[in-house]
Amino acid sequence: MFNVTTLVHTEARDAVVAALRSAVHGVPDALIAPTLPGVRNGGDVLMHLGFHDDRDWPRVRARIDEALSTPAVTRVDSVTYRGTLVGPENPDGSVYRALFLRVAPDTPDDVVERFEADLAALPRYVSTITAWQLSRVEEATGVSDWTHVFSQRFTDLAGLTGPYLMHPIHWAYVDRWFDPECPEYIVRDRVCHSFCALPH
Amino acid sequence: MSEEVYVVDRVITKPGCAKRFVDAYLAEYAPGARQRGMTLRDVLVSPPIWFDDQVNTITVTWSLPSPQAWWEMTWQGRPDPTVAQWWADVGPWIHDRSRGVAAAAEDVDGLCDV
Repeated sequence: MFNVTTLVHTEARDAVVAALRSAVHGVPDALIAPTLPGVRNGGDVLMHLGFHDDRDWPRVRARIDEALSTPAVTRVDSVTYRGTLVGPENPDGSVYRALFLRVAPDTPDDVVERFEADLAALPRYVSTITAWQLSRVEEATGVSDWTHVFSQRFTDLAGLTGPYLMHPIHWAYVDRWFDPECPEYIVRDRVCHSFCALPH
Repeated sequence: MSEEVYVVDRVITKPGCAKRFVDAYLAEYAPGARQRGMTLRDVLVSPPIWFDDQVNTITVTWSLPSPQAWWEMTWQGRPDPTVAQWWADVGPWIHDRSRGVAAAAEDVDGLCDV
């Protein structure tokens, strides 16, 4: 699968949602929704698109770029990447979450691989994650040169704000890669933590 | 069940640097850590000799009342560049270090049941 996830900062979220939905007309796997309260650096509108491959992307991208070419849009962070969700074929869940992060460019490959393995371990311990995907970014735009996107489907909003944050796998294990006080610290730029409701 | 969590700094200091590291930690790092909600439990030096020709291992243990308090502590510290800068400044005295987060064995099952 070829994937695109985009976070749009705007005060005109309804208009932007409508414009993006029109722009991606015909894309079968398209999620476009306002972000929910509690995002951090996560924008006002979240868009996730899934394609079988990247052939259709340039055409769709041109329409999206046009839709976002308005003064009402103040910032766009966007990533393209490949891979598929890990989980059941039709996972449950009412909340989609995307984390954009940038691993410091001087990080050795074996350290990046350990970091990725730790992130990938997280869903094993957090039962409210119904499906997930960790991918290296192919193309990034926005405030950082994003290297990874970690997306999840959660049972509900409480499953994201409660068990995901409060399980020791997060605060006592994985978070050391994001903590400036830990020697393992490699995610030094501010991350984008964004989430929105999934359609029923 | 207690939700108390512990932050454990384990610092192997270079020969001759243990005393100055501990002094700086207590004078410069600890006040801010307390402001961020951490309670200092103990500072252990192994072996208990201020070596000038061998490494020492300093183990500092802090406590916080809950995982939520841990998040609030780290959310305060991360945007503050002086915290990371302090660790960078004492880097020349350090051979190796780690920071771990722990809990009492009897609390593990409860902390994982979220």
